[in-house]
Amino acid sequence: MSPATTPAVFEKTACEHGDKAAMRYKKLGLWHDISWRQYRETAEDIAAALIDMGLEKGVSAAIIGDNCPEWVMIDMGIQCAGGVSVGIYTTNAWQEVEYVVSNSDAMFLFVENEEQLDKWLNFRGSVPLLKKVIVWDTTGLKAFKDPMLISLSELIEKGQQTDKNLLNQRMKAITPDDMSVLIYTSGTTGPPKGAILTHGNVTWMAEAIAALNPMERKDEVLSFLPLCHIFERLFSVFAHIRHAYVVNFVEKPDTVTDNMTEVSPTVGYSVPRIWEKYYSAIQIKMSEATMGKRLAYNTALTIGRYRADLKMNFKKTPAYLELLFRLAHYTVFRKLKKRLGFERIRVAYSGAAPISGQVLHFYQSIGMNLIEGYGQTEGTGVTCTSRPGKAKFGTVGTPVPGTEVKIAEDGEILVKSPGVFAGYYKNEKGTAETLRNGWLHSGDVGEIDEDGYLKITDRKKDIIITAGGKNISPQYIENMLKASVYINDAVIIGDRRKYLVALIMIDEDNVVKFAQDNKIQFSTYGDLAADSKINELIRAEIDKVNKTLARVENVRKFKILPKKLYEEDGEVTPTMKVKRNYVNKAFSDIIEEMYFAG
Amino acid sequence: MGVLLEIKNIETYYDLIYAIRGVSLSVAEGSITTILGNNGAGKTTILKTILGLIDNQPDKGTIEFMGHRIDGLDTEQIVRLGISCVPEGREVFEELSVRENLMMGAYIRKDKKGVAQDFERVFNYFPILAQRKNQWAGTLSGGEQQMLAIGRALMSRPKLLFLDEPSLGLSPLLVKEIFQIIRKINEEGVTILLVEQNAKKALEVSDTALILETGRFVMKGKSSDLLKDENVKEFYLGVRSQQSAKGYQRWKRKKVWR
Repeated sequence: MSPATTPAVFEKTACEHGDKAAMRYKKLGLWHDISWRQYRETAEDIAAALIDMGLEKGVSAAIIGDNCPEWVMIDMGIQCAGGVSVGIYTTNAWQEVEYVVSNSDAMFLFVENEEQLDKWLNFRGSVPLLKKVIVWDTTGLKAFKDPMLISLSELIEKGQQTDKNLLNQRMKAITPDDMSVLIYTSGTTGPPKGAILTHGNVTWMAEAIAALNPMERKDEVLSFLPLCHIFERLFSVFAHIRHAYVVNFVEKPDTVTDNMTEVSPTVGYSVPRIWEKYYSAIQIKMSEATMGKRLAYNTALTIGRYRADLKMNFKKTPAYLELLFRLAHYTVFRKLKKRLGFERIRVAYSGAAPISGQVLHFYQSIGMNLIEGYGQTEGTGVTCTSRPGKAKFGTVGTPVPGTEVKIAEDGEILVKSPGVFAGYYKNEKGTAETLRNGWLHSGDVGEIDEDGYLKITDRKKDIIITAGGKNISPQYIENMLKASVYINDAVIIGDRRKYLVALIMIDEDNVVKFAQDNKIQFSTYGDLAADSKINELIRAEIDKVNKTLARVENVRKFKILPKKLYEEDGEVTPTMKVKRNYVNKAFSDIIEEMYFAG
Repeated sequence: MGVLLEIKNIETYYDLIYAIRGVSLSVAEGSITTILGNNGAGKTTILKTILGLIDNQPDKGTIEFMGHRIDGLDTEQIVRLGISCVPEGREVFEELSVRENLMMGAYIRKDKKGVAQDFERVFNYFPILAQRKNQWAGTLSGGEQQMLAIGRALMSRPKLLFLDEPSLGLSPLLVKEIFQIIRKINEEGVTILLVEQNAKKALEVSDTALILETGRFVMKGKSSDLLKDENVKEFYLGVRSQQSAKGYQRWKRKKVWR
């Protein structure tokens, strides 16, 4: 039995693996290793210094920065000191940073660099509980002095000189019921809520996710999703300290594809948008390849698709098909996957938002075991996932061992597991709505099939009821549209309306290529969105989807949004989910036009 | 005003590097059009593609000058049609005199009388060149060399003049002078396509502007509108939208073209 608090798990693993690599980071073109010993020493120095500076058990400290070794060392330092670690998105404006720092009653704030530090300077007067700000990249700050500010290296030095007795006592005093992290969920309505995850929650989850798809020391993962999101935190921190694989940090947020090829992870995980991006990049590359290559690719893909169809319907694959697939693998897929950095991937997860079935099916066809996971922050991330070779089309798999899932009368998915959170921080009302009699009310609607696989229909509050009284799941239609290589995102509108309409975000790369191939002149993204031939193209894509839908589900009108959506504009979440409410409001004039213009 | 130069959907490769990724642009007769962009965005590559200086490029797309296709033609033929270029870094013939440099610019012309007139015209724009006409071009100052390069380009009597970073390495006063002359040349009937890093000057002098990033236009509009745009201000004009509370700031906010 593994220990049930983060510091205990961490200490055990670090002692076992000593000088072996725990993580890698890339600096000035070179990869560097950090051993478990270094990881532990630094984390404990940080912890000792924090205790010395007055951090009590159960008090929060916040971190804002891009993924890097310092981030997780600080995270572990805070938790070893009995503190509660709170991650903040680097894309947040200072007002949002202020909200999280203030709402979580944070005593310390760790900032990556000058840019993040400037955010604090804007609200320093309004957070009296904040005692110290610690910065880890001091570039450009050498001349800046502030009594509240110290550098991380100064903090670590302080920790090195501090007696570790207090720290050891503190680590022993932590129980599984104590708070370990607060994870702020990007609220689509109202301000974000801080979900409390206990040491028991996170250590259980670290164990549970590897129960079906085991992970071990030799595994490599690539860390690039925001660390304050539960999905990345699970793989870069909680499961990492339990299973002792190697976490590789991307050099910069925009070097993911290069770093992916360099690292070639054995376990992959990402949000649907990234998998979709890779999918459409492959489509582009292949459409530009020579005739011979295209022929080989299409043949291989036909074989792969046929095989994936059988597999995902739990049917036996005949020996000749396996042989053909082997051939397709050696001639086409192996090279393709190698170039992308996918050739070693044993299992890959897609989570945090629903992925289109077509995209999932594509990866399965090329022999990559991409499976969809389902869960929420409030359940420590994962509720359901498929086991290897047992992915089923259109479902998110079966509950993780130790998890009970049931469907309420109104179709809502309810979850009970040791991973279910302790409530929202200082928000009894929110807690009472979500947590009833030990059951987590997910807010999602779904059903469980005869094999025990969970199928998600939609978010409960997103279900559209048309003026005709018909219930429609927008997510289903949106996912069908997103499967088009020309459509990046789609938002379906139609609640209490006569018919459905869609806001379309085009996929820039593929649409530009289409424009180039068809000699459509354009200068900017706005030109593309307004072009009549591009609109015809999207119309045709929508018509294709409409044919597979019931009449009431048909998308009658659409508009291509004239701008790209940005996290900074509040239009998409940090995991690149479109914020439906925000988009509906921001583009209300465009929507109304679609209903009134004839 | 008719369209003098019309570029449609061009794509240019340097060997394996995909430098121009689908660019369309039209230059109205008599106008000054400017292309702004950071180092490596592909500004000069566009000019070189038009001039036929990169072998077998553009890979895709068409270029029309006064209604005729010029993509695929030799540089010499293109110049004869009336396009002239002031290259980045001036590139004067250092060991030839000022006079000889200007004569090189008139290499394709046979009408001696016209050439003589144009000598006068250039000396009129740049009196300093008249004073130095027998001096080696290599002994001129940077600003004088820039003037000479512009003069040399004018000697072929172009209808369309390309200026590639004319302000590069010049003092603010000289920059001002050069831009005044650019305007004057334009007023006397030469259409100008200007590539610049000095965004403020370029936007002030031009009618239309486009912003190029990694081989694609991300913004286009009237120069006077771009001068007021928040993104252009922050990233090209050095005006900060937010001021750091500590009084100085090294970082820039993320660039997004809305």
